[in-house]
Amino acid sequence: MKSHIENRVYHVEILPPKQETEKLESDLELFTTKFSRVMNSGYCACITDNAMGNLAFQGTEMIEELGLAPREDLVMIHLNTFHTKVALDGILASCRNLGIRNLLVVSGDGSDRLPRLLPREIGASGVAAVTSVELLRYIANEHPGFFNLGVAFNPYEPEEPEFEKMERKLAAGAAFVITQPVIGLHPGVQKLMEKYPALPVVVEAWMSKKLELLSEAVGYEIPQGQAYDPIENLRELHRIYPSCGVYLSLLGFKTQYDFLKDTWKRG
Amino acid sequence: MKIVVCVKQVPGTSEARIDPETKRIVREGIKAVINPFDVYAVEEAVRIRERIGGEVIALSMGPARADVVLREAISVGADRAILLSDRAFGGSDTWATSYALAQAVRKIGDVDLVLCGKQAIDGDTAQVGPGLASQLGWSQATCVMAIPEIAQESLVVKRMHEDGWDRCRVRLPAVLTVVKDINQPRVPTLRGRLAAQKMIIPTWGAADVGAELGKIGLEGSPTRVVKTEPPPLRGKATLKIEGSAADCAEAFVRELRLKGLV
Amino acid sequence: MLANTAALRAEYRNVWVLAEVLNGEVQKVTWELLGAARDLADARACELWCILLGDGVSRAAQQVHSYGADLALIVDDPRLARFDDEAEAAVLIRLVERYRPEILLAGATTRGRALVPRVAVKAECGLTADCTGLAIDPATGDLLQTRPAFGGNIMATIRCSQHRPQMATVRPRVMAARDYDPSRRGKILAESLLPGEAGSFKTVLEVFHDADNAVNLSEARFIVSGGRGLKDAEGFSLLKRLADALGGAVGASRAAVDSGWIPYSHQVGQTGQTVQAQVYIACGISGQIQHLVGMQSCDYIVAIDKNPETPLMKLADLAVVGDLYEIVPAMIRALAKT
Repeated sequence: MKSHIENRVYHVEILPPKQETEKLESDLELFTTKFSRVMNSGYCACITDNAMGNLAFQGTEMIEELGLAPREDLVMIHLNTFHTKVALDGILASCRNLGIRNLLVVSGDGSDRLPRLLPREIGASGVAAVTSVELLRYIANEHPGFFNLGVAFNPYEPEEPEFEKMERKLAAGAAFVITQPVIGLHPGVQKLMEKYPALPVVVEAWMSKKLELLSEAVGYEIPQGQAYDPIENLRELHRIYPSCGVYLSLLGFKTQYDFLKDTWKRG
Repeated sequence: MKIVVCVKQVPGTSEARIDPETKRIVREGIKAVINPFDVYAVEEAVRIRERIGGEVIALSMGPARADVVLREAISVGADRAILLSDRAFGGSDTWATSYALAQAVRKIGDVDLVLCGKQAIDGDTAQVGPGLASQLGWSQATCVMAIPEIAQESLVVKRMHEDGWDRCRVRLPAVLTVVKDINQPRVPTLRGRLAAQKMIIPTWGAADVGAELGKIGLEGSPTRVVKTEPPPLRGKATLKIEGSAADCAEAFVRELRLKGLV
Repeated sequence: MLANTAALRAEYRNVWVLAEVLNGEVQKVTWELLGAARDLADARACELWCILLGDGVSRAAQQVHSYGADLALIVDDPRLARFDDEAEAAVLIRLVERYRPEILLAGATTRGRALVPRVAVKAECGLTADCTGLAIDPATGDLLQTRPAFGGNIMATIRCSQHRPQMATVRPRVMAARDYDPSRRGKILAESLLPGEAGSFKTVLEVFHDADNAVNLSEARFIVSGGRGLKDAEGFSLLKRLADALGGAVGASRAAVDSGWIPYSHQVGQTGQTVQAQVYIACGISGQIQHLVGMQSCDYIVAIDKNPETPLMKLADLAVVGDLYEIVPAMIRALAKT
């Protein structure tokens, strides 16, 4: 992760097509186009895992079925706790086969249609349910030294429980952190960096103009009167967090992608 | 083993909103989905094939757009599918439905096992499974929560009851209806989905399965719905209580007493 | 059987109730059915028969008369000790063909719902599932059967005007049993199993009766139910204590079952059971629609949650805002004082 930050490698989020899509062919084409573009730019493609509990196709399966070529170290797979153990082991095996080492391990959002890991299946006892912590531990134990494991940090949650969770995540094997989308300076992120100066941190940039959607998701209060300019915010984030990487969610591939070559200046 | 799994397309449930005045559940934006119990039946059929080999054929009686649920079944492992569709089937009650499905099973031929979900969430009758067994003259087991043993001429199944469970040996051929506990269904893969899209699903009409017109559709249905209406209103306003646990508990006991419940 | 003329229909007389029998004992739902069926038989000016299939059921004849039946039709055979649905269906079909009842009612239990559809198919007659209302149409004399459909979103009224018998399974805890009258007398008719009727299709190897949860969800007057808000499996021990204090059963939302906190047999909702309790106490259950369809017809709904705005808190008759881990123990204490 440190090398991504030093080399100004953007983390670009790409969502696989939803299972319920009625235009599967064109969705697959779009995914291929986005993935290839990110690879060609030397950026890192971050593929989500049933984001928000919506059934979608799985990242490593997309790469395998579509014959995509992951470039060295430039793919990150999201992995959550809503899989059967068989499926989980399959995803990890595929990652190994494809040489994909970067995983973002999250608890995730479930739904009626999604299975979930039970604690005893992954050797976790004494917990009521499997969270990212238990999943991290399982992956670190089953595949020692292979994966580069990242976790999420939510600066909008109450401080104490969120930092307590971070302690547990780090103890279980987390090696880098990706924050929830931040607008400008956020004291929570500052505190994270102060507490763990050696920990690589990637801040998430909300690239959609629709700030209301983010507010709904994280409870962020929108400042009155200003229209939100995602590119401007991105530049701000580079200024405020020069030692952090950046994760781009909801990036407009048509309208915003071309700006990216100019946004990350060496400070 | 040759397995037929019956699936039904039903209206999906959506976000619940309680109308504050009537206290009715308001449903919005309903889309058609595969009946939840049938998902478990399809998974179990595929697992049986993985256990002992054979073929899984998904079967649905419905309008043309029901082919979506058949393709879902294929995307998680069914080998092929058949859509039983004909205007003449319209208005069928459970008797006529089980008859039509039985005719289709007969036409498929050499079937060893039929799996169904316990009930459809629109009709809520749970009658088609045992009705189908009876039309075929086969064994049946309902509310199956496990199939611990599969032998040449029989299966051992575990059936769920209100007060516990039982374990029985069931002669083949048989019709089983399954409940949610039986397995954890797999999610469709991209490969499965692509295969499902390419698959040709034949449509069989009444004539194709040799169904007698007097036994299908409205004419073949002994039951008729003569009236539908919304359920009776709950009507009562919500009494909200907060405060110390002791106060809340006292209020709770008081309310129960007032209603003669304790 | 098709009975599309008044003359044909007139050949079918009497109301039948199939007794729900477990280990030779007649279950409570049977008395509820007899209560409802007595009204139907009186309206039709005919007899009420109770059909007893099982091992050792002969001794229940007097009970059955005392709850309103005019006649007990008994097939008492050790081969019927365990639930062999094909066997019971075969016997019942034969009895229906021989005695031609006008109406046949059974409990909408797992056993009733397994067995009666088999009978209805062979007898070529109509069957309505899980009825919550029964009445005789004064104009035609037909049975009007009311039942919920679409997860309780609509109430449908069903009639079988051209076929006899008219069959229905009836939801437990909806109908009222008549008062037990030990002075009531009735007739007894004994029939036997024919060779090959039992054991041809299945053999019951083992039966497990859950003693830990002696009151089951379908019979319970009180249900204490837990969901995601419990945060872990231990919470169900607390709920069980409240259920025990009320003499009730423990239920669960799908989220709790999927998390492995409690077995599926406790799940209430669309892919679980539908319950008809007098009091449903929901603890830490938000009230997704799939859950609501399973419990919305309970008479009195209590919800306990920290969040007053959940669908279940809005639906409830009594919404208690607070921490269930404080409220429930307080309720147990308060009940102990009564």
